Amino acid sequence: MAEPAYTVASDGETTGEEKSSSSFPEIAIGVDIGTSQCSVAVWNGSQVELLKNTRNQKLMRSYVTFKDEIPSGGVSNQLSHEHELFSGAAIFNMKRLVGRVDTDPVVHASKNLPFLVQTLDIGVRPFIAALVNNVWRSTTPEEVLAIFLVELRVMAEVQLKRPIRNVVLSIPVSFSRFQLTRIQRACAMAGLHVLRLMPEPTAVALLYAQQQQQMIHDNMGSGSEKIALIFNMGAGYCDLAVTATAGGVAQIKALAGSATGGEDLLQNMMRHLLPDSENLFLGHGINEIKLMGLLRVATQDAIHKLSSQDNVQIDVDLGNGSRICKVVNREEFEEVNRNIFEKCESLIIQCLHDAKVEVDDLTDVIVVGGCSYIPKIRDLVKHVCKIEVYKGMNPLEAAVCGAALEGAVASGISDPFGSLDLLTIQATPLGIGIRANGNRFVPIIPRNTTMPARKELIFTTVNDNQTEVLIVVYEGETEKAEENHLLGYFKIMGIPPVPKGVPEINVCMDIDASNVLRVLAGVILPGSQQPAVPVMEVRMPTVDDGHGWCAEALHRSYGSTLDLVTVQKKI
Amino acid sequence: MYKTKKLWTPLSTVVRRALPTTCHLTPYSPNSQIRSSSSRLETSSRVSLSLHYGHDFLGNLKFSAKSFCSQSAAKVDATTKRCWNCDAVAAGMAPFLYCDSCRSIQPVDFSVDYFQIFGLEKKYEIEVDGLEGKYKDWQKKLHPDLVHSKSEKEREYAAEQSARVIDAYRTLSKPLARAIYILRLEGVLVDEEQTVSDPELLTEIMEIREAVEEAMDSQALNQIQSQMKEKLEGSSSSFANAYRSRNFDEAVTCIQKMTYYQRANEEILKKL
Repeated sequence: MAEPAYTVASDGETTGEEKSSSSFPEIAIGVDIGTSQCSVAVWNGSQVELLKNTRNQKLMRSYVTFKDEIPSGGVSNQLSHEHELFSGAAIFNMKRLVGRVDTDPVVHASKNLPFLVQTLDIGVRPFIAALVNNVWRSTTPEEVLAIFLVELRVMAEVQLKRPIRNVVLSIPVSFSRFQLTRIQRACAMAGLHVLRLMPEPTAVALLYAQQQQQMIHDNMGSGSEKIALIFNMGAGYCDLAVTATAGGVAQIKALAGSATGGEDLLQNMMRHLLPDSENLFLGHGINEIKLMGLLRVATQDAIHKLSSQDNVQIDVDLGNGSRICKVVNREEFEEVNRNIFEKCESLIIQCLHDAKVEVDDLTDVIVVGGCSYIPKIRDLVKHVCKIEVYKGMNPLEAAVCGAALEGAVASGISDPFGSLDLLTIQATPLGIGIRANGNRFVPIIPRNTTMPARKELIFTTVNDNQTEVLIVVYEGETEKAEENHLLGYFKIMGIPPVPKGVPEINVCMDIDASNVLRVLAGVILPGSQQPAVPVMEVRMPTVDDGHGWCAEALHRSYGSTLDLVTVQKKI
Repeated sequence: MYKTKKLWTPLSTVVRRALPTTCHLTPYSPNSQIRSSSSRLETSSRVSLSLHYGHDFLGNLKFSAKSFCSQSAAKVDATTKRCWNCDAVAAGMAPFLYCDSCRSIQPVDFSVDYFQIFGLEKKYEIEVDGLEGKYKDWQKKLHPDLVHSKSEKEREYAAEQSARVIDAYRTLSKPLARAIYILRLEGVLVDEEQTVSDPELLTEIMEIREAVEEAMDSQALNQIQSQMKEKLEGSSSSFANAYRSRNFDEAVTCIQKMTYYQRANEEILKKL
């Protein structure tokens, strides 16, 4: 075995690698790009401060409108009326579309947005376009996010009077590593360097850790460990974490998340009010866009009102001779969205279970995000956790404040009063493993493993004289391999021809301190101490856009000829 | 059945992060297991993060008894330790992983064992509740997230130290892992491959396996599970006794039992 082990690495853009920064520490800003709203916060030397745009807003709508020659986003642009957002010229909800293929149900649920989301349902990236002067102008989620991030960056640079490069971004728990690369790409397009991508509830956990520390300083709290459940539901995602906090350290015990949010509540309500709305809208004609916009505004408004009142009068003239005039009460809204609330409840139960935490162990339960204003959401959280909701946080600002704290901590800033004496110990939000045992997903690093992490499993061949095996790497929780997120694939070749089950194929997964995932695979034959072929080291993800059909194509081309199975442990 | 675990250590050594820059491994040499160095222990125990998959865990712990004896005999002499960065002399009795004067993270010192990291006396029965706080204290000093702006060298130290503390925490907080580790420090190798010769245990294993397979509902499984828990606790305290009286043969038997009960437990959890 004289040949050196060789390395297969993906291209640089997907890296989370940090360059050595200059001697003077630049404080990274915290950015929360929500599905519906976004915000920027920064450590100002003594506390976290939210930055405001020229219109004095701390929370800005997340959209980009292509109305004029130069696209403009919600940071700088002023909408003349809410309806302008739904004219087809504005692109929004990008966080629901970024890094998804056109077979994804979340993409399909976006097809009745006023702008164009076209799918071919074959696993390529969806076609997205804005209506500009009666022309569908194409764009991509990354481009929209980048335009938006540039506006946020400029806003922060003007206010902080310094160039901004490093950011800590909060992201949904359920984002795959492939989606993370798309976020990193959008940041790179905007001239920003991602210092850290933080699952949203873990940013909230860090803020909670700081608040608990503060209370000890003020002699109000005890120094013992506190366990909190964080429930964060915005327009696009529902994310949860269980955190164990002591001494300013937030240890993430478990994460759970789903692409379930206010947008789903809204769409269910729209369908309820106008049952054939989806079919009506498929063609994306000018009149239908207008109609849909009217319905959307009215429904959104009604949902907001139902948070504070028991019933609401909806009266919307759809302009084509039809008119919806209806009183909707809160029970009706809750009934229409029953499956969503059930989903939320099951996520809470799952997260507590994964954290091995009983309801009685909880010190606090924190409910944040736009949906936290919905009474049913607060009720169901209270119902499951059996304690009152924590009151010390602004539900719309918690995630961005946590991201800003992480930005300061990760930039090496220390505070004389110990306010930055903080740390988050992260856990993996999704399992990472390979396809084996037929079409099964076999996790190698299970979900909720403390990072950095490294784990290995042994596999073997399924055919006699099998000289190659295909390693297909997935991320997710579902037993069927292809229902998880594909991260990449590679072959191990040159395995000596021996009966099936003889070669030991060791697959090792390593997530380092920068959250970079490497997959190593080696082959050993019994009786030998040396690898039969050079060990493969592959940095993941390696897939690029439109990867949905890859797994299927691989299956069609190779069948089970390159399969592997796990080596059973003895009981 | 051939042995399924030889690749563990070799493969792990390929990952650069795992390798302290100064250590010299000879992972592919058949003799290396006997000449096992302290760094080799480190690599092996790092892999044992996969405690989860019971089958590979024990397999990782193959190293020479001798080197451990000598190692644990060599007491850490804190007074002679100096910070690589500011040359300050390590103060106090705490293991020197971090320099308090210049706040820099020190390179991994393999002669410091997991008990020392947690400021514990080297014994099997420990107060597990106190571990988490100490673990967090260390992470607040050693976690790689906190040294972004520092040199590459120190970032590497952080990654290694922090991973080692995670390992130490996981090892000490779980009775079986702790038992195996403490025997290892005494130079006693626990070999998973060793066939069970005790007919009594063998029969028991068969019976448990059958019971699990035949269990019809979750109630039956829960019942077996609580039995397993009881048995685990039983062998855990027999281990404590055996270890205290330095009856290592008996201690190894206890570990074998604990391993089987734990696996049975995992099987039950899978079915539940």
